[in-house]
Amino acid sequence: MNNKPTITKKQLPKGVGFWKDGFRRLARRRMAMVCLFIIFAYFAIAAFIYLAEAFNWQLSIVDWSSQVGEEYQPPSKENIFGTDFLGRSVLRKTIYGTKISMTVAFWASIISLLIGVPLGAIAGYFRGWVDELIVWLYTTLSSIPYILLILAFALVLKDKSISFSWLHLGTLQLSGITSVYLAMGLTSWVGICRLIRGEIIKHKEREYVLAARSYGCKNARIIFRHLLPNVFHLIIINFSLRFVSFIQAEVILSFLGLGAKNQPSWGAMIDTARLDLPKGYWWEMTAATVAIFFISLALNIFGDALRDSLDPKLRVQ
Amino acid sequence: MANENNNLLEVQNLKTWFAVKKGLLKRTVGHIKAVNDISFAIRPGQTLGLVGESGCGKTTAARTIARLIPATTGKVSFDRLDVLSAGGKDLKKIRKEISIIFQDPFGSLNPRMTVADIVGEPLKVHKNISGSELIERVAGLLQKVGLSADHLNRYPHEFSGGQRQRIGIARALALNPRLIICDEPVSALDVSIQSQILNLLKDLQDEFGFTYLFIAHDLAVVEFFCDTIAVMYMGKIVEQASADEFYHNPVHPYTKALMSAIPQVDPALRKKLTPFTGEVPSLLNPPKGCPFHPRCRDACEQCKLDLPQLQPLEHQSDHLVACWKCKKNVKVQ
Repeated sequence: MNNKPTITKKQLPKGVGFWKDGFRRLARRRMAMVCLFIIFAYFAIAAFIYLAEAFNWQLSIVDWSSQVGEEYQPPSKENIFGTDFLGRSVLRKTIYGTKISMTVAFWASIISLLIGVPLGAIAGYFRGWVDELIVWLYTTLSSIPYILLILAFALVLKDKSISFSWLHLGTLQLSGITSVYLAMGLTSWVGICRLIRGEIIKHKEREYVLAARSYGCKNARIIFRHLLPNVFHLIIINFSLRFVSFIQAEVILSFLGLGAKNQPSWGAMIDTARLDLPKGYWWEMTAATVAIFFISLALNIFGDALRDSLDPKLRVQ
Repeated sequence: MANENNNLLEVQNLKTWFAVKKGLLKRTVGHIKAVNDISFAIRPGQTLGLVGESGCGKTTAARTIARLIPATTGKVSFDRLDVLSAGGKDLKKIRKEISIIFQDPFGSLNPRMTVADIVGEPLKVHKNISGSELIERVAGLLQKVGLSADHLNRYPHEFSGGQRQRIGIARALALNPRLIICDEPVSALDVSIQSQILNLLKDLQDEFGFTYLFIAHDLAVVEFFCDTIAVMYMGKIVEQASADEFYHNPVHPYTKALMSAIPQVDPALRKKLTPFTGEVPSLLNPPKGCPFHPRCRDACEQCKLDLPQLQPLEHQSDHLVACWKCKKNVKVQ
């Protein structure tokens, strides 16, 4: 009975799928690749600091809190970005700030996607009262000024703790940056929710969805196997562009005194440097700004390139 | 009577109305009567052609029968199952035994799935087949429709329109259905490809004995393909007859006008066009009486007042027509 030639998927010629095709287009854009490299570098720095702290590596570059020289030293060979009011290296502080910014932006993006995507998909797919409820929820949320909302959430969540003991996961202390990214995640899912809802409404009337229903696919299968893969590129694009705004929001929150405590972040650096600037101590401000500038620019250009290569509507080549 | 029970699909007084809602309170201000009281039946192995111009409710009728759109009233029975109220096991059986081939080969295939996934999904959902067995089955289906196993890992956008329609047909065949609803399967294709696809469908019918509900707006296509033809106008069937009778003795003025619009290659055979003027009236506010009377050159007073019912002609019980004038002068020569 084994005479019959069996076909395995692997032997057959591979098709060029949407993702493969999209990333091939992306790879052809040199600027996008440079930006991707910069983004990876930032992530690598953040990951490196996490590792160094976890394994207690005694590396001077991670040790931002010790004094390296006189206070307010201008940039020099020893200290590329000079020193701050306690004689600490501004370069080390800036590098350490990467960790805070990337962590906050990453988790805030994840949280907002985890809320926005399912809500948008459910609203768009089921319509009816579910849709009206979700639309009402996000319109209400988006009618409140954004910064005020984040501030309110951050203040409420500050120094609270959420117990996960029923999941045997211990307790999550909402101190410092945790409350910041929770607040940002909980308040910023509106945009992605609206986007996904609209796309799902558009796609669910397409014939391929009708076809899936005609041979008896369940709702969950239609949403996860048919609809979400068709809007997933929008989620990725939105993620990359949203990331920038979270980095900037973290800076603003730190500047307003709600961010990281006892840890240098770019926002906190700008906040302290603000008072030093009139005295001519420009380097701390510059270092933090340059760090923000490069990641923002890289993410923006990369996000645009991603959209150009993944969004079928923009395919003109 | 035994004959009647042999029908695979019976549609009785089917209505699909869409409520038109307006204003802040979403009050229903009227109905679009997309399908308005249609009845027909198909015997196993036969093909019924449903023709009519765009917007006359052909597709809505098909989708209602396949239970993709809820019906307003009426009865659809498929192999003695009540389609419109079936649930659970019965619905699953209906989903398995009625399949659809869609009009647009570019929209009916999920662009993110490979051919193997698209054609194999019905099998996965209904028969829990997976792995190499699924691939074997899908490859078999592709061969049936004239594609090869090499195409399994490819995506829809890598195919031409005709090839995509073949993929759609393979998917429709996957569960070995008894009724296949072809919703204008060739109207999005080039003429040269159309005949290939039609021949394929015909061969498959000869081989497996499928029953087709064939929707089209091209009368030449329908003539080639169908045993019985029903003409729809504004949600109603206005004439129904066997293909032969239909082409040789059309009686309803709308049908006649449609027939005269078929282009003739031979100038000697060209008849005088009997076109009709005007537009299809609004479905939201249909004319009283016969829906065709504003455009009909033979319309009389009765046509403007009373709705004609679909009734057999005097000497031909299988030729049904809904027209006051046609009943008065049955012998139309």
